[in-house]
Formats: sequence, structure tokens, C-alpha cells
Amino acid sequence: MDQLKSRRQFLRSMAFAGGAALVAACGAAAVVEPTAAPVDPTAAPAEPTSAPAVIAPVASTVDITYWGSFSGALGEAEKTMVDTFNASQSDVKVTLEFQGTYEETAQKLTAAIQAKKTPDVSLMSDVWWFKFYLAGALQPLKDLMAAQQVDASDYADSLINEGTRKGDIHWVPFARSTPLFYYNKDIFAEAGLPDRGPETWAEFAEWAPKLVKMDGSTMARAAFAHPNSASYVAWLFQGVIWQHSGRYSDPDFTIRIQEENGVRAGKFYQDSVLTGKWASNAKDIGADFLGGLTAATIASTGGLAGFEKNATFKVGTAMLPSVDQFGCPTGGAGLGILANLPAEKQQAAMKFIAYASSPETTTTWSQSTGYMPVRKSALASDAMQKFFGERPNFKTAVDQLAKTTPQDSARVFIPGGDLIIGKGLERIMIGGEDVATVWGDVKLTLEETGAPIVAALKAVEG
Amino acid sequence: MTSRQLFQIRETLVFIALVSINVTLLTVFIFYPLGKGIELSLYQWDFISPVQTFVGAKNYVRMWTDRTFWQVMQNTLVYTFFSVISTILCAFGLALLLSLPLRGREFVRGLVFLPTLLSGAAIALVFNYILDGRYGLLQNFLSMVGLKSPEWYTNPQWAMVSIILTVVWKQSGYGAVILIAGMQNIDHTLYEAASIDGAGRWGKLWNVTIPSLAPMLLFVTVTGILGAFQSFEIIKVMTNGGPINATNILVYNLYERGFVAFEAGPAGVLTVVIFVIMLAVTLLQLKIGEKSNAL
Amino acid sequence: MHSKSTSAFSLASVLAYLGLAIVVAIIGLPLLWMVLASFKESAEIYQIPVTWIPQRPTLMNYPDAWNAVPFATYFRNSIFTTACAAGSKVLLAISCAYALVYVKAPKRLKDVTFLVILTALMVPAQVTIVPNYITMSHLDWVNTYQGIILPNAATAFGTFMLRQYYMGLPHEVIEAAEMDGATHMQRLWLVVVPMAQPAIVTVGIFAVVSEWNDFLWPMIVTNSNDMRTLPIGLFGLFQTEGMQNWGIIMAGTVFVVLPVIVLFIRTQKWIVDGIAAGAVRG
Repeated sequence: MDQLKSRRQFLRSMAFAGGAALVAACGAAAVVEPTAAPVDPTAAPAEPTSAPAVIAPVASTVDITYWGSFSGALGEAEKTMVDTFNASQSDVKVTLEFQGTYEETAQKLTAAIQAKKTPDVSLMSDVWWFKFYLAGALQPLKDLMAAQQVDASDYADSLINEGTRKGDIHWVPFARSTPLFYYNKDIFAEAGLPDRGPETWAEFAEWAPKLVKMDGSTMARAAFAHPNSASYVAWLFQGVIWQHSGRYSDPDFTIRIQEENGVRAGKFYQDSVLTGKWASNAKDIGADFLGGLTAATIASTGGLAGFEKNATFKVGTAMLPSVDQFGCPTGGAGLGILANLPAEKQQAAMKFIAYASSPETTTTWSQSTGYMPVRKSALASDAMQKFFGERPNFKTAVDQLAKTTPQDSARVFIPGGDLIIGKGLERIMIGGEDVATVWGDVKLTLEETGAPIVAALKAVEG
Repeated sequence: MTSRQLFQIRETLVFIALVSINVTLLTVFIFYPLGKGIELSLYQWDFISPVQTFVGAKNYVRMWTDRTFWQVMQNTLVYTFFSVISTILCAFGLALLLSLPLRGREFVRGLVFLPTLLSGAAIALVFNYILDGRYGLLQNFLSMVGLKSPEWYTNPQWAMVSIILTVVWKQSGYGAVILIAGMQNIDHTLYEAASIDGAGRWGKLWNVTIPSLAPMLLFVTVTGILGAFQSFEIIKVMTNGGPINATNILVYNLYERGFVAFEAGPAGVLTVVIFVIMLAVTLLQLKIGEKSNAL
Repeated sequence: MHSKSTSAFSLASVLAYLGLAIVVAIIGLPLLWMVLASFKESAEIYQIPVTWIPQRPTLMNYPDAWNAVPFATYFRNSIFTTACAAGSKVLLAISCAYALVYVKAPKRLKDVTFLVILTALMVPAQVTIVPNYITMSHLDWVNTYQGIILPNAATAFGTFMLRQYYMGLPHEVIEAAEMDGATHMQRLWLVVVPMAQPAIVTVGIFAVVSEWNDFLWPMIVTNSNDMRTLPIGLFGLFQTEGMQNWGIIMAGTVFVVLPVIVLFIRTQKWIVDGIAAGAVRG
């Protein structure tokens, strides 16, 4: 093992010796000539001519590094998946390196690209994979998928389409989730409510007084708990604004959040906390839900396994409530291959991704985590159907998947867009500020922050 | 060459030999990054794309007109002011108490200093739990006297208070230890002279103790300000800068702009702002220090 | 403030001891709370009214925390990187401060050097992260011990503090050594270092503590578990468990905090004196 590692290090330093001068030169050039013509990021990566020659005599196994972001139960499942892959064949050996949260992974991937020392495959969250695509850091995957005989049309449409730009796939669905309505069955029963989620938010608002428990002037138990901006409240609100017939933005980055329906949706969130007084702003919605501080909440399907394991009560799930219409975004993370890898690493990386998102793997993976099965054929499989019978909560999540929509550009494509909208929601729900004013500010900030993206997008996609 | 010149050259070479490693490392790992940060303030860049666009002062103009930036500046001022003042008051009170000839004071001196040494992230986790409105230690005490825990988390002012409380708890001991030493160094004849002049307890405190401690108080103030400017982990763990940016101070904002939104330009501007403020504080200290001969 | 002998039962002394007790409680209770919680089952943590002494004490939080992230490896890494970086800091501070105070180099050179040290004090760590990462990767030192250690191997703070302390040492002693023909090395190691011991120990402790607690840089520069350090493990634990299982998180916190407490108890006398002396002279 140690030998293998030092050998790899040796090879790396060989490659580095050659590349060092180049790296230094590039770094200097970027600094000295910042106005230099943009490098076409869609250009095919140069075929490295020397690397295979060096590596070939060593071994037939290709080592690739995969950066992941899962810890706890999810991390265990991910590790099992990688181990199983490594044991199942001898062509590719994947080393899983845990990088921290999604944000930390983004930070480290950024630094790694700067340093031109990237992993081969990385988990990438919905809110930042696009930035790496725009910078030309992601490998287009269509040809690689074809070479590994992966049937792209078997992926759930709304999921694979999100990662498809200009007709090529850059981001393969893996740990994809949707928001799900969770409720505490014990509290619902105690309040004399039916054992199901509300059809509409109006219905839930009617139920709410029965769920809220007051202790003097403070709310000892809320009917519903909102997360904060650092915990992706803007993801959950994405569904809510759609339910109110509004949207954050158009695909061309025209911001729409400040329009009438957006204001209506914001007002709804504000009222739920400030005038209706049935919702709380939780520091940690998971802790509040498990601790019985809230009767219901909306959180990722990825939390399902954890909730069912840790709850001291019966956990119920339902599809999101509607208003004018139903609305529910997809979310979570997918896999991408970093650009500029040697051809054999690209193939090896694709082989791993093909395995990770294969109908068989996605079945076990989703059953152990609560993430969505990403393949149509997996949904139809007997194993899945049987599992649905045993775990009705999980079936709710999958049934809802068919009705989901990819998110608006303002949240997922503008860097920090999620946080900008989330902080606006804090002003609305905690600060009680006028919704139209807040959305007006948010719109300006999104436009300002988004301007470089719009420009870059034009350069990349025309 | 005279022996004097030879001596000069030898001394210079010894000097260079002794300082070179330290200065080289500082240059590579502090000044070069600082320069890079300042340079980036003039560019529009997302940290990964191959192109950095020169935009001149645009990032500065943008920050100047940015509502969040001014809120962050205000937060930083409020946070620094209150955390430093409270730390000094606590430290001074502790120092007075621990200068009394009490049994066990050595142990307590050690105890109060201990939090200074502990990991900010660890302390923040402990305080997160202590301040928990339902299961926390504080709520436990408050409920004994029939009070409710403040809304540390959803109330912007209380969120700031929670951060300041934690920092004061962690940092007061450091100031106390310094002030105790200062008090021990005060010339006893000064107190005797004050007694002869008829000064009471307060008179002595006001006319002898505090003036004699001026250099130490200055030192504690300045290290407090510089420390406050760098407190990042406590905010990251306890509030993430929220709610509504209420605890978002300059270094946290730098982190957010640089490492969450990946805007190199604004992050560069914040680098410059933080550096200038810290430079000003240090120069002020040197200036005052020179005047009072403290340095 | 040294009053005459205090009578044991005077009101003032009762008040003073009361004050002392309050101080001990304020500083000690949070730490005690942390330790006690680490022995509670999660059901007990979410029980109202809150309990102080664990009713069904459990040791399970420790193995659970220890296994949730590879704490053993993190411990080893923390100890090694801390020892190297802190050792380097102390050596460099001792020698650099000596040069600034006792070597008769041209004044301009000394002033510029001191200014460099002083300015370095004012750069927040967040600023240096990305450029340093790039530097490290050019050296191919990402995810290595030297990558973690090197940016923390120099010290502006330690140099500054020792310089202030050296300046307060009796000049006659060093001059006498010079007259006797002692070289700079002899003067530094045989005369100055013994006299400056409290300040040096203090600089050492601060160096150890800042390395041990350092969070952002090791997080960025390490990629794999075999290189990570303790605070990252603790934060990872917090991410994993959320605010749902305080028992395990507090157990993890004890892992990080306990070594510092032990170190402190063993060196307490020196530290408190050293810091005080350094600042009083400063």
C-alpha cells in the first residue's frame, strides 16, 4: 500500500516537473495579462502524450480520486458504494476523499483548480456545479457515456436535463433530492388531525392552531419550522414561489422575484411567522423536528433515513402543499469529471460514475439514504417496488419526483444566489421588513452579482 | 578596511543570518498573499475561470454603495467596541479581586486564564449548547427565577450579545493576568503617599492604580481590538453571521464573499479595508505608547 | 491594593470570597457542563427539567465520537504538526528577536525588519488562504505535513513579544558577556535565553495553542483523513450530528480541549508569569 502510494507520488512529481514551468508561466500570465483573450473552456482537453507512456508499464489498474461531501450515515453509504465498486473489478481503483460540507468541497475544488491539482471525479452540489462548468473546469460527458455504454435516456428527465448544457451532459445525477413535507404523526393524532399532509397551505394554516402549543407568550411548539439562510431556506422557498405562480428568474437571468407573485409568496412566509404565528425560525430544523419543537417541517428527502432512525415518534411524509398550483424543485448533488484529465483517467472516471448511477447502485443507495433513484429502470424494478411497500415514506418522495422541476437560474447559477435570496427571506421573516422593498433589493443584488455570469455564459454558449 | 568596518559587516551578516528565515517565511506566506489580495481588489474574478478582468476601482465603488458592506462595518464597530469594553471591565474587576490576599487565588488566576487557550470552535459549540433556549444551561438557571431565555437566535441584537458573551468569557482572563502583574509592579510608596493625602479606596483606585496601569490597559485594548477583528470561528459555528447579517463582521464577510460567493474582487476590497484598519490601530498604539513611554 | 492583614471574618473578605466563588462558577460551569453532558444519553439531554449529574451515566458517547470521525489519526496529526510548527516558531522568535535587540546592524536595516514583523501581525489569516494554497501546490505540498506546517512556521507575534521582553533585560549583563569575548551564539543561548525563559515559555504556549486550535488552513490544505487535524474532526462531527446529539459532540469537544487543559495545568506557573512579565515590560 505504502509502496503504491509512493509510486504514485513519484509519478506525480514526474508529471509535475514537466508541468511546473508551464503552471508557473500560466499563473504569471493570468496575473500580468488579465485582459488576455478568454481561453475557450469548451475546447477539448489536450491529449497528454507523455503520461500514458509513463504509467503504462506500471500497472493496468487506473487510480482515480473521488472527492465526496457526505458524513455520518450518508458517508457510510458512500464508502460502501466505493468499496463495492473497487471490489467488483480491477480496472479502476477509486480513492474516496471526504472534503467536508458542500461549501467546503466547493472551496477546495476552487483552490485545486487554481493549483491545477484536481481530483478526477467530484461530488458537486446543485448551487455551484454550474460555476465550474462556466469556467471550463468540467469534462463534457456524452462521448464518454457512449463509450461506457451508459444509456443517458434512462436517467429521470428532470434530473439529467439540469446537467445538460448545449446538448452535452456535464453533471450526472447521483445524490439528488427534493424537499419533502415531514410531520410528527403523534402530534397530528393528538391534535385530532388526519394522518396525512395538507393538500394546500391554506388547509395547513387551518390546522396550525391545533398544532401550536403556547407557553405564556412564547411558542413552546410550532406547527412548522423554517430553516435559516445558511441552511438553504431559499431552496425550500423555490417551491413556495412556484406554488404562488411566481419564480426567482427566467433561464436568461431576468430576475422575477420582485414581481407580484413573488411578493405574495414572501408575504405568505412572513405571515406564517409574524402574524399567523404558527411557524418558527429554527436554528436547526432537524433538531427541532426530532425534539418535538415543531409538528412539521419541510426538508430534503436525504434526511429521511436519519429522521426515521432518530425519531422517538412516528414520522409521516407528504408531498408539498399547493397554493395556486403544485411546485417542487429538485436539489442535491451530482457527479462531474474534471477537465483536462488524461484519456484513460476520463474513461476510468466515467466507469465509476456509470457504476455510481447505475440502476442497481441507485436502488441500494437511495434505499439506504433517502436520495432519489436517478434511473427510470430502477423505479420500475422489483426491488424498488418491494421497498416501497415496506417504506411508504420513501414512496412519497419518489412519487413526488415525477412532479419536480429544475430550479430557477437565480438560485443555482448565480454564485451565492442561494444566500442572497436566503438573507432576503431572513429580512422578511425575522426582520418583518416590507416584502416588496426586500425583493427589490434582492433583485438588484442578484443582477449585479449575476452580470459576470451572464457575460461568461454568452462567451461559452453563444 | 578598519576593524570598525569589519565589525559592522560582521554584525550585519549575523543579523541577516538570524532574521532571514523568519522574514522569508513571513514574506512568502503573509506579504505575498496580502499583495495578491490587494491586487485582486482591482479585478473581477471568480477564482477559477482562466480570465481575470481588470475593473479598476469598480469593486471599491460597488462596496461603497453596498448596503450589506455598511451594515458589516457597523456590526464590526459595535462588536469590537462592546466586546473590548466588556473584556476590559471584566479583566479589571478580576484583576482587582485576584490581587486581594485570598486563599486559592493562584488557582483562580489559572482558571480564568484557561479559556484563552481553548479552541474557538470548541468553545462556540459548548456555548451553542449552553444558550440553547430549551435544554441549555442558561435556560436552566433562568427558569429557576421564572425568566425565559432571550431569543439568542432569531433576535438580531441578542445574537450579537451571544457572540460578545462568548468572546468576553474566553478573553477576559488574558487581560486579567496582565493587569494583575501590572498591579503587582505598582510602587507601594504611591499608595502610601495617597493615604497621607487622605485618599480613600476609590481615590487610590482612580489616582494611583488606573494611571499606573495605563500601558497595560492600552496593551489589553489593542490586543483586544486586533483579536476581535480576527474572530471567525466563533461566528462561523454559532450564528453563520445571521440572523439578517446581524453578526456578520468584516472577517466573516470576507470569508463569505471569498469562499461562498467566490467573488475575488469584493473579497480583495475587504482585505484592504481590514488591513488598513488594523494598521491604523497598531500605529495609534505605537504613537500613544511612545508618548507615555510605554514601549 | 495590598491591605494589611485581613481579619478572617470581616465583611469585606466574605464579599471577596463570594466574588471568587462567582468567578469560579462562571468560568468553570460551562466546562463542567461540557464534561457532564458528554456522559449523558441523548434522551436525558432532551429531558426537561434539565439534569446536572447524568442519571444514567454512559461512556458510549466517547467511542461513538471517536469512531464517527477518525479521531486517532487526527490526534497524531495534530500532535505532530503542532510540535513542528510551534518548535519552529519558538526558535525563530528567539533568534530573530535577539538580532533585533542585540546585534549592532545598521539602524535602518533593523527598523525595516521590525516594521516587517509589525505589519505581518496585522494580516488576518483569511486573507492568506488561497494564495498560500496555490504556493503549496506549486511546491506539490498540498495534503502533506510540510504543507500544513510551513505557512505557520514563522512568527510575527512571538518575535514582537520577545523583542519587547529582551529590551527590558538588564543590558549590563549582556554587555559584560560581550566584553568577556562571548560570541553572539553564546550570548544568545547562555545569557539571554535563560533570562527570558518566562517569555519564551509563553511564546511557546501561544504557539502550541494556536497550532492546536488552527482550523481554516488545515481544512483547506488537507484532502484526506490521514492528514487532517483535530478541530476539523470536531467540526465534521458537528456537521454530522447537527444539533441533535449534544452528548457525542461534547465528547468530541473534550478530545480537543482536554490536552490543552492538561498542558496548561502542567505549565500554569510559567504561563501566567510569562504573559504578565511580557506585557508589563511591553
